[in-house]
Amino acid sequence: MSTRRGSGVRLWDATPLTRITLVFALLLSVWPLYWMVVIASRSVSDATAMPPPLLPGGNLGDNISRALTDDSANLMTGLLNSFIVAGTVTVSVVVISTMAGFAFAKLRFRGRQVLLVSVLLTMMVPLQHVGVVPLYIMMIELNWTNTMQAVILPFLVNGFGIFLMRQYTMQAVPDELIEAARMDGAATWKIYLRVVLPAVRPGMAVLALLTFMQNWNEFLWPLMILRPDNPTVQVAIRGLSNTNYGTDYSMIFTGTLLSIVPLVIIFIAFGRQIVGGLMEGAVKS
Amino acid sequence: MTHTPRRGIRTALSATAAAALVLAGATACGNSDDGLDADGNIVLTVQVFGGAGFGYDELVKQYEKDNPGIKVDYQVVTPDYDNEYRPNLIQQLDAGSGAGDIVAVEEQGVGQMMAMSDYWVDLAEYGLDARESDYTAWKWEQGHTLDGKLAGLGTDVGGMAMCYRTDLFEQAGLPTDRDEVGALWADWDGFTELGEQFAASDVDASFVDSPSQLYNTRMIQEAGNADGISYFDRQNDYVLGESAAVRTAFDYVAELSEKDLVGNFRSWTDEWIQATQAGGFATMACPAWMLGVIIDHAGEENAGNWDVAAIPGGSGNWGGSWLSVPTQSPHPAEAAALVDYLSSPDSQIAAFEAVSNFPSAPAAQADPVVADMTNEYFNDAPSGQIFADSVADYRPVFFGEMHSAVRGAVEDVLFQLVGGTDDPDAVWTAFVAAGQEVVDTGV
Amino acid sequence: MSEVAERGPGRLRRLVDRFDLRAMPYVLVSPYFLLFTVFGLFPLGFTLWVSMHKWRLAGEKEFVGLDNYGFLLTNGNFWNATYNTIGMFVMATLPQLALALLLANALNKRMRGRLLLRMGILLPMVTSVVAVAIVFSQLFSYRYGMINWGLESLGFDRIDWQADRLPSWLAISTMVDWRWTGYNAIIFLAAMQTIPRDLYEAAAIDGASPRRQFWQITIPQLRPVIIFVVFISTMGGLMLFAEPMMFGSGRYDGGAAGNFQTIGLYIVQAFRERNNYGLAAAAAWLLFMLILIIALINYLFTNRIRGNK
Repeated sequence: MSTRRGSGVRLWDATPLTRITLVFALLLSVWPLYWMVVIASRSVSDATAMPPPLLPGGNLGDNISRALTDDSANLMTGLLNSFIVAGTVTVSVVVISTMAGFAFAKLRFRGRQVLLVSVLLTMMVPLQHVGVVPLYIMMIELNWTNTMQAVILPFLVNGFGIFLMRQYTMQAVPDELIEAARMDGAATWKIYLRVVLPAVRPGMAVLALLTFMQNWNEFLWPLMILRPDNPTVQVAIRGLSNTNYGTDYSMIFTGTLLSIVPLVIIFIAFGRQIVGGLMEGAVKS
Repeated sequence: MTHTPRRGIRTALSATAAAALVLAGATACGNSDDGLDADGNIVLTVQVFGGAGFGYDELVKQYEKDNPGIKVDYQVVTPDYDNEYRPNLIQQLDAGSGAGDIVAVEEQGVGQMMAMSDYWVDLAEYGLDARESDYTAWKWEQGHTLDGKLAGLGTDVGGMAMCYRTDLFEQAGLPTDRDEVGALWADWDGFTELGEQFAASDVDASFVDSPSQLYNTRMIQEAGNADGISYFDRQNDYVLGESAAVRTAFDYVAELSEKDLVGNFRSWTDEWIQATQAGGFATMACPAWMLGVIIDHAGEENAGNWDVAAIPGGSGNWGGSWLSVPTQSPHPAEAAALVDYLSSPDSQIAAFEAVSNFPSAPAAQADPVVADMTNEYFNDAPSGQIFADSVADYRPVFFGEMHSAVRGAVEDVLFQLVGGTDDPDAVWTAFVAAGQEVVDTGV
Repeated sequence: MSEVAERGPGRLRRLVDRFDLRAMPYVLVSPYFLLFTVFGLFPLGFTLWVSMHKWRLAGEKEFVGLDNYGFLLTNGNFWNATYNTIGMFVMATLPQLALALLLANALNKRMRGRLLLRMGILLPMVTSVVAVAIVFSQLFSYRYGMINWGLESLGFDRIDWQADRLPSWLAISTMVDWRWTGYNAIIFLAAMQTIPRDLYEAAAIDGASPRRQFWQITIPQLRPVIIFVVFISTMGGLMLFAEPMMFGSGRYDGGAAGNFQTIGLYIVQAFRERNNYGLAAAAAWLLFMLILIIALINYLFTNRIRGNK
């Protein structure tokens, strides 16, 4: 070590213990996912073999085609439905949140504080649990059971998104920019489209990714309101492990693997932004 | 004080939801309620459950060919009867829409379904009362609502046998031949004795898979031999605590648990499925349809390790279904005709050939296709004969409206006996209370 | 251009401007409030209404006042579910926060491959809850699970994770923590990076050990973020549903002895298995109350920390 480095610098160097802790944590994080791949690529009996197999086998392709074509599992339908549901909800949440976030961050209007606090309060309402009974009754009365609108509509509400976009807009859009646009005679919606939206695009991306993930993973409500022949992906893989007449771990794990592939792809592609966005969002809150 | 807020709520809901829909830009797809397809054919939806379904694919094709103008939409809704099929069906019946033109009702839910008389078409109105001679008295009776409507025609029965692992029996030094084994456990005392011998060997496995099927088999035999009352009397009062049959079966499970013969492998759990394959237990009470389950779970590498012998006590039933027509069907007459066809003895034989559902009609059971059936996986066991014998002497038990819900709750409690750790009297109190809880929380 | 001709459009223009300034903000925030009214506020009120009735989907609804609440508050199974919910919440949340802080502190150090480590630790978050529950339920299997195999290999006894209360809580808490610890660590890390470094350097010059610096600088500085994370964990923890359901092979009873039945499972059991919508609605309101109470306790508690500092 060069003596020119001061003590303040060495303070931030990782000790061997730190490195070991982190590598251990990394292993723990990755291990269950790796295990999923191992079992998904093997035959039925390997899941219960002792000692457990440690390396992937050669049946992944077979298992995937079996899982996707199994009629009673409806995994294909589930994947497709989840794309529709999570996609629609994401678009809606992002649009609604950027609009409201902009209003709360940059516009003056009577009742702004009260409304903002009420948005924060709505985040305290665990809708899927507290509202499950009335929502269920609503959907049955409307004859919407087993439809996609039944699993989309209740999730268009998301106070967190507004909160996040408000924080982001406050930071990313200088007041002067808006003032200047007003001087030029731009109407509010034009400011929203031309000034605000371009500036908050990174925040929108993070919100979109988080919303997509959250809705891709939604379980309780779809389980209640969808029938097994028209599931979302979570309900479908739950069905896989619950088929009563012929459960097969290699196939269940293949299903769970398929269910996380879209998210893992998104994560690998945008992981840096997600980490960054989460960190930014957290700091600002 | 009673309310009927239904109409007002519906209006309010429709209005708010319509507003939300416009906002969300989503579109509701219109459901056509007339049950006709684009060509004006009558479409009959048949909803059943089970991993393999009811084996109606070929029958349905034949029916469509023989009956121009009728299309049949045969749906295997889910393998999971208790957690999915039954709650969904009840919800659809309550809601007044969504159920098929023909729905399958399983034995465990038949009491509940038949208590809801208003929801079912009286099949006698369409002449199906003529089918009585096809059935045993109990199968026919259970297809009736409490007020005497003919609401369901039987399809299959479960029957009951005892499946056992020959490889584990051999390791434990027990006989493996099914006739010999069946003779040794002709009654439950014999079963206990074999179990003790098994436990005395050092084979690392439970003798019985779980307390629940053991209990149910014994309880239904005892109740059938008495007055047929188990959890509810015919006025639907909860009488579990007073039932001698229940207590006898409970005590028997407690006795075997005390001897450490009972495993903790709850049916349908992953643990149970894996144990079926890996040899975690040596015996399991199994109805006919369970053979297919074992083949699926235990896999090819266990072919020949499983065998099937007569059940101790000689009779029993678990499962089996009825086909019913909900009153919400727009085509009750056509649906009834299809029920008649699908439940006929010939169709039962066809279904048996397709997915091994054991026929409930004695004529179908006597057919050589069924009677002479042997099962290769189970060392060529004459399973057709074994299951036919087990239902021949079967004496039915009355299932009250909440029977299956109570059954689920009290079964849970039985697991506290496993290993003989808890005081049986305390567990019995909890057992009665668990059923009472279901009665109290039910609507 | 005449004056008259100018006045017309000018007035219109001013009207439009006024509308734009006064009303547009409300237009922008209204979609949220409209949707929340329909799918948040209305269900909340409707739950209250249903909870005061003997309610099945079909048939007469009988008004029973607070009977359903009375039943629940004197019902052993509901208290059991409440106990399980709170127990698992505490069992999952405390180690999770501690581990997340530890990890964040470690990730804040200078080393190679930092981004990779951060992403790896965040990876569990993208795994769906059902997938997590399925995989861990298999790992925690009594006879055929890898964890018991490991215990046996090390000379310990197998643990029946499903049969007893504490082991089942531990198994379910592990699922929760596996999924969320990394996420919380990243949030803590973000907040740590905003703490001015000269605070640490000054402390180091005063001879404070890294451990002391962690307790005396990092933790107090992180207070707002800790409140936020605790709040989110409270919501998630008290609404536990998918993990205990999948761990119990897809049933709502939380194991044979109800050892891990949560209030979420209780609610669903009440209306799906027993058709008792009134009871389910009452249980849902009680859950909501519980969340509010615990949120309040959190708030008071974290305020005290500030008060003492």
